[in-house]
Amino acid sequence: MPLIGAPVRRVEDARFLTGQGRYVADLTLPRMLHVAFLRSPHAHAGIVSIDAHPARELPGVLACITGDEIATQARPMRAESRMAGYHPTECPPLARGKVRFAGEAVAAVLAESRYTAEDALELVDVRYATLPVVGTPEAAMAGGAALVHEAAGSNVLLTRAFVQGDVDGAMRDAALVVGDRFRFHRHAGVTIENRACLADWNPGVGELTLWSSTQVPGLLREGLAALLDLPVHRLRVVAPDVGGGFGVKSALYPEEVAVCALARLTGRPVQWVADRREDLLTSTQAWDETIDAELAVNADGTIRGLRARVVADVGAYSIHPWTAAIEVVQVISFLPGPYRVEHYRGEAWGVATNKAPMGPYRGVGRPVSTFVTEALVDRAARRLGMDPVALRLRNLIRPDELPYRSPSGVVWDSGSFVESLERARDAAGYEHVRAEQERARRAGRYVGVGVACYVELTGVGSAIPASPGAAISTGTEGATVRVDPGGTVTASFGLACHGQGHETTLAQVVAEELGARLEDVRVVSGDTAAGPVGTGTYASRSAVIGGGAAILAARALREKALAIAAHLLEVSADDLTLGDGRATVRGTPHRGLTLREIAGAAYAGAKRLPKGMEPGLEATRFYDPYFGTASNATHIAVVEVDPETCAVIVRRFVVVEDCGRIINPLIVEGQAIGGVAQGVGAALLEEVVYADDGQLLTGSLMDYLVPTAAELPAVEVVHLEHPSPTTLGGFKGVGEGGTIGAPAAVANAIADALQPFGMELSELPATPDRLFRLLSRPRTTSSPETP
Amino acid sequence: MADAVTVRLTVNGVEREGRCEPRKLLVDFLREDLGLTGTHVGCEHGICGACTILIDGEAARSCIMLAVQADGAELLTIEGLMRDGKLHPLQEAFREHHGLQCGFCTPGMLMTALDLLRTNPSPTEAEIREGISAVLCRCTGYHGIVRAVEAAARKMR
Amino acid sequence: MKPVKFDYHAPASLDEALALLRRYGGDAKILAGGQSLMPLLNFRLSRPAALVDLNRIPSLAYIEEHDGQVRFGAMTRQRMIEFSPLVARRLPLLREATKWVGHLPIRTRGTIGGSIAHADPSAEYPAVLTALDGEVVARGPKGERVVKAKDLFVTYLTTSLEPDEILVEVRLPATDAGAGFALEEFARRHGDFAIVAIAALVVPDGARCRAARLATAGAGPVPVRLRAAEQILERDGLTDAAIDAAAGRAAELVSPDSDIHASADYRRHLTAVLTRRALRRALRVAHG
Ligand SMILES: Cc1cc2nc3c(=O)[nH]c(=O)nc-3n(C[C@H](O)[C@H](O)[C@H](O)COP(=O)(O)OP(=O)(O)OC[C@H]3O[C@@H](n4cnc5c(N)ncnc54)[C@H](O)[C@@H]3O)c2cc1C
Ligand code: FES
Ligand code: FES
Repeated sequence: MPLIGAPVRRVEDARFLTGQGRYVADLTLPRMLHVAFLRSPHAHAGIVSIDAHPARELPGVLACITGDEIATQARPMRAESRMAGYHPTECPPLARGKVRFAGEAVAAVLAESRYTAEDALELVDVRYATLPVVGTPEAAMAGGAALVHEAAGSNVLLTRAFVQGDVDGAMRDAALVVGDRFRFHRHAGVTIENRACLADWNPGVGELTLWSSTQVPGLLREGLAALLDLPVHRLRVVAPDVGGGFGVKSALYPEEVAVCALARLTGRPVQWVADRREDLLTSTQAWDETIDAELAVNADGTIRGLRARVVADVGAYSIHPWTAAIEVVQVISFLPGPYRVEHYRGEAWGVATNKAPMGPYRGVGRPVSTFVTEALVDRAARRLGMDPVALRLRNLIRPDELPYRSPSGVVWDSGSFVESLERARDAAGYEHVRAEQERARRAGRYVGVGVACYVELTGVGSAIPASPGAAISTGTEGATVRVDPGGTVTASFGLACHGQGHETTLAQVVAEELGARLEDVRVVSGDTAAGPVGTGTYASRSAVIGGGAAILAARALREKALAIAAHLLEVSADDLTLGDGRATVRGTPHRGLTLREIAGAAYAGAKRLPKGMEPGLEATRFYDPYFGTASNATHIAVVEVDPETCAVIVRRFVVVEDCGRIINPLIVEGQAIGGVAQGVGAALLEEVVYADDGQLLTGSLMDYLVPTAAELPAVEVVHLEHPSPTTLGGFKGVGEGGTIGAPAAVANAIADALQPFGMELSELPATPDRLFRLLSRPRTTSSPETP
Repeated sequence: MADAVTVRLTVNGVEREGRCEPRKLLVDFLREDLGLTGTHVGCEHGICGACTILIDGEAARSCIMLAVQADGAELLTIEGLMRDGKLHPLQEAFREHHGLQCGFCTPGMLMTALDLLRTNPSPTEAEIREGISAVLCRCTGYHGIVRAVEAAARKMR
Repeated sequence: MKPVKFDYHAPASLDEALALLRRYGGDAKILAGGQSLMPLLNFRLSRPAALVDLNRIPSLAYIEEHDGQVRFGAMTRQRMIEFSPLVARRLPLLREATKWVGHLPIRTRGTIGGSIAHADPSAEYPAVLTALDGEVVARGPKGERVVKAKDLFVTYLTTSLEPDEILVEVRLPATDAGAGFALEEFARRHGDFAIVAIAALVVPDGARCRAARLATAGAGPVPVRLRAAEQILERDGLTDAAIDAAAGRAAELVSPDSDIHASADYRRHLTAVLTRRALRRALRVAHG
């Protein structure tokens, strides 16, 4: 049975199920110190003075370090991009001169225990001179607004636009234009493991090791080397077991820089484990965009044009390496969705405020763009009296139109947009659900059906840099595959894993391509000292790029193993097959050699190898998919809204996804459902709230509401499997998609349920209080019932 | 540590002892003083459930209990769930039904599910969802977990 | 998120506990189940000089019936209440309310005394105590006194108990057969504190209503007994119209506040909706 495609049970589970995982907080080193950061109580204030003496006097405290002191050890981060209309800004490891958001680290206390370190924080005396708080993008863009970064000269850190055709003309000529102001509020990724890191400086060899709960050990190494003035090969970054990432752990954080600097400064290992309060205050947040968008359609429902202005609240800092542009530029890149849109204009503004920095979060921009576009599509259908599925079918890009260049310049290499919608419609029993909806309405119950179609670019190669002129390359990954002398296989990657199951899926790829037994393959990743150069895991890239590199390396190795076996068996390599860890002569199954025997020969050297062959059985290959490949899906949500309590219950959720060739259906399903859960949470529960003075009001998990099992439906997943025509192996990314489609599907379902009340939904999350206000508003159309 | 107290308790059937400040949280005591890092910390305010263990046979949060309060108690942590080198049916089922991804919530989730099945050996899907709503998982969407608990319940009956 | 340093005492008797409270003169905190206090300690929002832990006083955990009252030792765990056959039979409203208190692992440690002494206005037990006209027994330096529910809750997280008093017992009138009860709650997630909850008890008497009891959680700084709404039912019976009128009246009787989860208007609206639903369900329960 082929391994690629098999629902193999995960190899990593054994340690997690028995409490033997090793996360950063589980690691201790001799002489290790704990660091606690003093965090600013103000959102915007000058630092007048810091008196750290009383804190240093406390027994058990080794040091208390301020921003000025650490500046001698580490440069501020500066996320660069050559994008026109982008102003780079600086982010110091500890605040200097002023603080820009509530929670920013101002000083670091190093102590023998976290308890003592927290005691000492209370003894640090900081004098602040408060500054006017820049609370919203509107306020930030107003004349005379205080500046978050004086050096930038403006709070608008970036502007960008994508234009195709004559969208204003299309709007003028269209039979119907639907439009609205949409709002998707601020969101927090909330990994269950808080961020954590541990740095160890070895003065003897001048080498620094950082263990971090990060998705991107490779990016961290490059970034830190520059900031700390260390040669890259004197830095090792290890991401051990990591308790969830979702994009939140894909930036270089000031605490990581600080902990490295502090380890070098004190000569002792330094560990920081964020508590939940710190995590909610300082981890990158997502979305927070206001989108004015209009869609123009013909009377038959054909889309003519789409026009949008997107303003994003990017918070106080432009994060390394992604910059403040990461989220909002993705919104305008992907607003046209999987539809034929001839005329398009998307404009984006990224505006600094005194809030935690904005960063990439599962889906990046596309949950927002999909929410907006899919809402507009539904509204157009309603206004035209068309079924929303029918209108979509009319406009989805058809297979014969692929590859298709979207108005923002993204090329869709492939896609099953029409098929996924049709399959989702059938899987959900769409007609039946509509009939039920009618019956429910007559009984005074408000059921709604929401459809969302999306396409995403995954496994992005070198043709599309993370941002123009970025210092880092995110388009390639490497794999080193080695048959060990004992016949086992070690496959190492520059990727990092935080729940995706790479130890299983990449082992499946290597085992199948090499012809090894699955149980003999061990995947090593997340350690810059143990694998080839790579950046890490983010942006639905690991299966595509890492998988591609694995295929190349495994194939090279297979070829060599066969050549050696042919030589030893004195047959032609063409007469050999390699599978299940053994090279066998075709037609003569008892004649063969195991991988162990072949490896024995490979490492024994010239005597047992074909003339001129290099000894060893190891290959490193890199892969660059160049453009990347399109994943797509359709989500259908069925919800029931209680118009009295304004509660929304998700009754059903159907996903029909196409991630190309599937490596492991269990894991694909897990990714899809996990993503949907986050999307449903985003649609209904999760919202970061700041007070006008910039204080975070959702600083605990009592107030920032992550969905529990009781709020989520069972999710039905249907796989379409159209291999990517452009990537090696035919894989497409699947890590983010669930979160892209779900908010839109839920929002559309709520709006559909509430049609009898004549209202539209333009704001997420759709909290009960927001729905209450909507339902209490005077109706735009006459309603049959009142709540 | 002039004001340190001695804590004696039984963990996973083994008598253990340590000295700590009275303010030390039970979860920190388990992890730092006893070296049992399988119990995780996710919030330290009782919401996430990552730190859930069994105390005298009942699931409870170890982040909102002091170590000194557990003096004399009998605890079961994730490290003690296997018996005779064999996975517990719940552990088996989590593996079989892909009930975990990053694994961070898993110890608390397993201990919570264990208590759930002891108090309600034949739960409905809704009861399982309600029971495990005590623990936040950000990775799985709970789907595999619900299936795993259903399967384990069948096996354990 | 680690607590400040404090002295820790786990007295074996109530007298010892009272002596300790006196010794610290208001700077000590009573530790019961810890499910509310420990998070406050971890956030350093509570910074006591000492903790007086009641968990080692075995005589404080019991459930008994006396003179038509079910009496609970303050340290009786919510979990014990959940699985108590006596409570299921004699105080089904409390049993239903218990299921809404957090999650099972929270109820393992959380106590009835702690829940009431903590006086979170969104908590279920204070609403039940208020609806049923229950009382608590407090013991202090001057001996014991009985405090009625209506005299207990002062404002957010504040009761009329003195810092040197310990709540030792909770008393709730047992529910007569034939009565109907319901606790209707709206929370954002399962196990969260209520946005609004309504505890209801009705004793139908043919077409009439012999007694109605209604109280809120989440609709103001203290649980609110909805006496004027009860009176409508006791006057007009449990007809749909009377229930609607009572629900409408309920909304007028509360003065909720706004927070990030719900505005005052929405909470007021929910008060009416949930009162109506609680009454309807209570009536169905009564009619078996
Ligand atoms: C995740 C989570 C969810 C929760 N959800 C809910 C919910 O939905 N509904 C709900 O009602 N509660 C909820 N709680 C709180 C829980 O019910 C607590 O058990 C309760 O609020 C306090 O009881 P306790 O025994 O834990 O008291 P503690 O936390 O020990 O004490 C609380 C306060 O009461 C004082 N106190 C305690 N006992 C006495 C006494 N005998 N005499 C005088 N003062 C005393 C303490 O000094 C302290 O100030 C939740 C808690 C958590 C962690
Ligand atoms: S760490 Fe204990 S509940 Fe979150
Ligand atoms: S598996 Fe990652 S939080 Fe549950």
